[in-house]
Amino acid sequence: MAATAPGEYFSVGSNVSCLTCLGQQLQGEVVAFDYQSKMLILKCAPSSGKPNLSDIVLINLACVSEVDIINDRSETPPPLASLNINKLSIRARTEKEDKLSLAYAVSAGVSVDGQQLFQTIHKTIKDCKWQERNIIVMDDVVISPPYQAENCKGKEGSALSHVRKIVEKHFKDAESQKSVQHSPAQPAHKDSALTS
Amino acid sequence: MSMKQAGGNRKPGGGGSGPAAASGAGGGGGAGGRQNLGRSVLSQIAFNGVYANMRMVHVLTSVVGTKCELKVKNGVVYEGVFKTYGPECDLVLDAAHRRCLEQGMGPRREDIVESIIFKASDVVVVQFRDVDLNYARKDNFTDAAVSARLNGEHKEKDLEPWDGGDQHGSDSLESLDTDVSNGWDPNEMFKFNEETYGVKSTYDSSMSSYTVPLERDNSEEFLKREARATQLAEEIESSASYRARVALENDARTEEEKYTAVVRSERDTHSLGSRENKYIPPGQRNKEGMSWGTGRQNSPRLVQSSPSVPSSRPGPHDYSPSSGTDQRVVNGGAPWPSPCPSPSFRPPSRYPSGPTSLPPRAATPTRPPSRAPSRPSRPPSHPSAHGSPAPVSTAPKRMSTEGPPRMSPKTQRTPRTHRMPSARGGMPPGPEFMAHSGDVSTTPPPRSSPSGGTWSSVVSGGESCTGSPSTHRPRSPRQNGLGGAPGGSSPQTATAPVDPVATPVSAMSPTAASPASNRAATPLTEAKESRVQEPRTASPVANKENVKPAEVSPGPARALSKGPPAMASEHRKQIDNLKEFSQVFRVSTPSPKELPPDRGAESCGTTAPEAPANEEKASGPTPTAGGTTGSKPSSPGASGPCITAEQKRGPDVTSQAVQTSGPSGKLDGKEVKDDKKDPVPEQVRKSTLNPNAKEFNPRVFCPQPKPATTPTPPRPQGQPSPSIVVPQPPTVYSQTVCFPQMYPLTPVSPGVQVSPPPPALALVSAAVSAVPSMPQQRPDQHHPQGTPTMMHPATAAGPPIVAPSPAYSAQYFTCSPQQFTTPHVFSPVMQGSARMMAPPAHGQPSLVSSSTTQYGEQTHTMYVSPGPMPQPYSHPGAALHPQPSATPTGQQQQQGQHAGSHPAPSPVQHAQHQAAQALHMGNPSQQQMYSALAPTPPSINPGPNPQSPQASFPSAQQAVYIHAQQVQHGYTPSHMAHVPQAHMQSGMVPSHHTTPSHPPMMLMATQPPGGPQPPLPQSALPPIPVSSTAHFSYMAHPPVQPHHQQQL
Repeated sequence: MAATAPGEYFSVGSNVSCLTCLGQQLQGEVVAFDYQSKMLILKCAPSSGKPNLSDIVLINLACVSEVDIINDRSETPPPLASLNINKLSIRARTEKEDKLSLAYAVSAGVSVDGQQLFQTIHKTIKDCKWQERNIIVMDDVVISPPYQAENCKGKEGSALSHVRKIVEKHFKDAESQKSVQHSPAQPAHKDSALTS
Repeated sequence: MSMKQAGGNRKPGGGGSGPAAASGAGGGGGAGGRQNLGRSVLSQIAFNGVYANMRMVHVLTSVVGTKCELKVKNGVVYEGVFKTYGPECDLVLDAAHRRCLEQGMGPRREDIVESIIFKASDVVVVQFRDVDLNYARKDNFTDAAVSARLNGEHKEKDLEPWDGGDQHGSDSLESLDTDVSNGWDPNEMFKFNEETYGVKSTYDSSMSSYTVPLERDNSEEFLKREARATQLAEEIESSASYRARVALENDARTEEEKYTAVVRSERDTHSLGSRENKYIPPGQRNKEGMSWGTGRQNSPRLVQSSPSVPSSRPGPHDYSPSSGTDQRVVNGGAPWPSPCPSPSFRPPSRYPSGPTSLPPRAATPTRPPSRAPSRPSRPPSHPSAHGSPAPVSTAPKRMSTEGPPRMSPKTQRTPRTHRMPSARGGMPPGPEFMAHSGDVSTTPPPRSSPSGGTWSSVVSGGESCTGSPSTHRPRSPRQNGLGGAPGGSSPQTATAPVDPVATPVSAMSPTAASPASNRAATPLTEAKESRVQEPRTASPVANKENVKPAEVSPGPARALSKGPPAMASEHRKQIDNLKEFSQVFRVSTPSPKELPPDRGAESCGTTAPEAPANEEKASGPTPTAGGTTGSKPSSPGASGPCITAEQKRGPDVTSQAVQTSGPSGKLDGKEVKDDKKDPVPEQVRKSTLNPNAKEFNPRVFCPQPKPATTPTPPRPQGQPSPSIVVPQPPTVYSQTVCFPQMYPLTPVSPGVQVSPPPPALALVSAAVSAVPSMPQQRPDQHHPQGTPTMMHPATAAGPPIVAPSPAYSAQYFTCSPQQFTTPHVFSPVMQGSARMMAPPAHGQPSLVSSSTTQYGEQTHTMYVSPGPMPQPYSHPGAALHPQPSATPTGQQQQQGQHAGSHPAPSPVQHAQHQAAQALHMGNPSQQQMYSALAPTPPSINPGPNPQSPQASFPSAQQAVYIHAQQVQHGYTPSHMAHVPQAHMQSGMVPSHHTTPSHPPMMLMATQPPGGPQPPLPQSALPPIPVSSTAHFSYMAHPPVQPHHQQQL
């Protein structure tokens, strides 16, 4: 169990900060700690800033220095809720499939813009996939390179117009982001934040 | 235990090596890529490590299926979908790729590796971005789940009543109060709109567009119709159904009042009262009304805030809780509310006795003995309580009449008595009384027909209900005396009632002499209720509620007989509050002078019961009364009030008690017919407590029974017959174990589950002084559990993540519910069937379920319970199960105890059994079972959870529990088969170990099966036979037969 002895253990709920051997400063609330494996799990502020989410960081204390307990919590940690394993396994499978799907598209020569667009669309419409270099949304709308709004083709209707709106917004947001900072690293997150 | 077992199975080296090995592995791993050999070994060794850590498992499992960035020591970052993790915290990423500099670009197909396993030692940091930790939570809509979403907020929010202050400063509010007008006049509105917006209203008051005006005339026809309409209107409006429906809308109580979690103190109400014209918060509005009481009782604050009469309500509840847990169980639906209240409540008042008190109790060595006695008494009472009055009566009668004769048990009981005395304060009466009690207790066994064993079982089951009160009382008093403090008010109160009873009993000495007799008396009383109702006559309360009270009273009486004086004195000291209450009661008590001397002890008992009931209701008062009574008989020590009461009483005392009870009955029940209305009113007036007490009583009874059941088994077994004696130790252990676990549980979950535990705890605590140890044990227990679970996980480990998670799910889903319910249910059923009588109270499914849950908890607790306890348990388990034999062999005594426990059937036994099973599980032989259960790893995790108060614990424990049960019950067919055999063997084993104890053991075992008393069977094994009805479905009949044979 997570231990209670301060100094030797981290009690669940306390705030801890540490510096990894790779120079990464981490700080968060202890949600789990295993003494034997020297593994510490922190719950940090979410990268996306969404309140219902959080970043979980698993830290190997063997590779960490400057561990500081900012504040300790002696209260009993909340009970653990039961987990829907089935749900988790499904998530793991779909995530994997999505990634492989993307990788397949990348291998087919899809541009970065196209990848980003796909991610943006995927956040709104789950039913989208790569077909060669084309993005297929809801089996109805086909977006072909260079993935601009005018490249959206399909049966005229709400679906097509909706996808076009998404595409337009995506590129508009991308433009604004690029102007501010040239960091494609987190386009997805920003896009999501904007779209949402 | 579990740890050891785990170590043995997995590591030759022992538990200590685990960490070291893990660390070592980590270091070595850093350099090398993958060393399969090293890994496999390491993984096995460390297996327990991460998998043993509930929270680690929970969090890691929660992030399964999310993308993550994993940084390795050399700075390389891998991205992938977190798939699973190993016991050594090795991580598996699916579709992982090494992140390249060009972040914009997605990974190429050829860059992605199907899955990568990272050694824990290679990993520096793993980041899971924007994870929804509640994604896979099942209980997304529970209070706990919702509150858990507060980021970083772990402390529970305490609801506080809103205090607007005197409101003198707020003009707006004042203006509202002073504004007499009822809003705008319609014409004003029309005018305003017309002037301001130019809107002209077309409103026509005749509503000609919608209806036709009634043409009135003086024609005969019209008059007829009008008369007819008027008549119909009157009929409708005077009908009960109409009123009831109207009441729904016009109920004085608002929803807030009915369901609010915020308790408003009397002060608030008073303050409100001062301003009559002002808005009165719902909570405050009905303060005067009794209705409130129940609802608010739940909230701790009420209790705390208003110690006064109003508070008394809560108090009673609390007390009842002490007796508690039983009550809850019994009441099922009704009691629940009070028990349910918030956990916090429990601790304070109720269970304080239970959870909190328990620990204290445990602390005092004396309690264990007391409990044992109480248990015996409980058994008898239980039947009555649980069963319908009639059954009870029968049982009691048997008890009284048969008891003594049959019982060699007397000797056994005598030990109990001795214990009791010692606990109480080395009461002189002890032996003699004890013997008597023993007889009485023995009588109960007769019921079961089989022998002591059945009896004990019966007792446990039945006692808990009916007897429980009595037992509780005794216990509580003792507890009070012993632990006194922790139990605090609730226990004390409980005890107090008992004491009073005891005193009467003592007066009655002959009858009262033996606690058992008292108990018998209680049953008798109950019987009376059903049949004669003499006690009832004595006390108006006797009525429905009376029955309960009576039961209770018997308990107290018994207790008193045993060692009331000492008890009383202790109680007095410890419970100042109780004294106060008692004083109050005294006042009330004096008024009622009706005495049922006729029956002597019995009558006393009956009266006493009532009184106790009242006392119980009053919680505080009752205790004191008990103390007084006790003091009279044996020692002057009883507190002033108590003494006074006693003095007055002599014989009268009983009457007083009755009277008091009567009032209480009135209060409670409104049900009670007040033969002694005069006294009653006074009492009532004086102590609102009484009303509460009534409520409590029922509950108390129920709770008591349950607790009693568990406790009883041990005591009865041990003391009454040889077998009994042996059992006692086990029981104690079991009890102790239970307590610790119970504690956590109770505190944690306010809900039903919790409540159940409390009772168990209380019992346990009472039984065992170990309580203090208990807490400590808990952690240990948890750990052990964790380890065992670890074991499972390890086996299951193969698919790390999957296995664990499944286990969780499985445990939560199937295991906990089914197993628990079924077993528990069975036990309840059994009890009911056996005694028929008892059923009434328990009758309600809800009750049963609650009880079951409690049991489950208990069992869990058992598991958890660590070391000392575990061993005994294990032994019992061994005895029960063939496999266990290996471990058990070492301790014959323990086995004997176990055997004893078996007979006891009571919850305790179950717990023990379960524990034993659990232990067994740990054993290699059972490992198979485990493997099957493998998923359990999660369950293991649960073990740790127990620490967390709420549901999580139960669930976790349950999971474990389930395993045990599964084995025993044989949910799976194969298991079933094993179980029966195991039982058989277990029975055998005991005999082998201890010749003396063996016979008893055998008897016990046999009794349960053969006997009608399903209660005993409740324990995993016994239940099956008994459960014939329900159990049979699960189990094959064969099991039962074997038992019989063995027994024979």
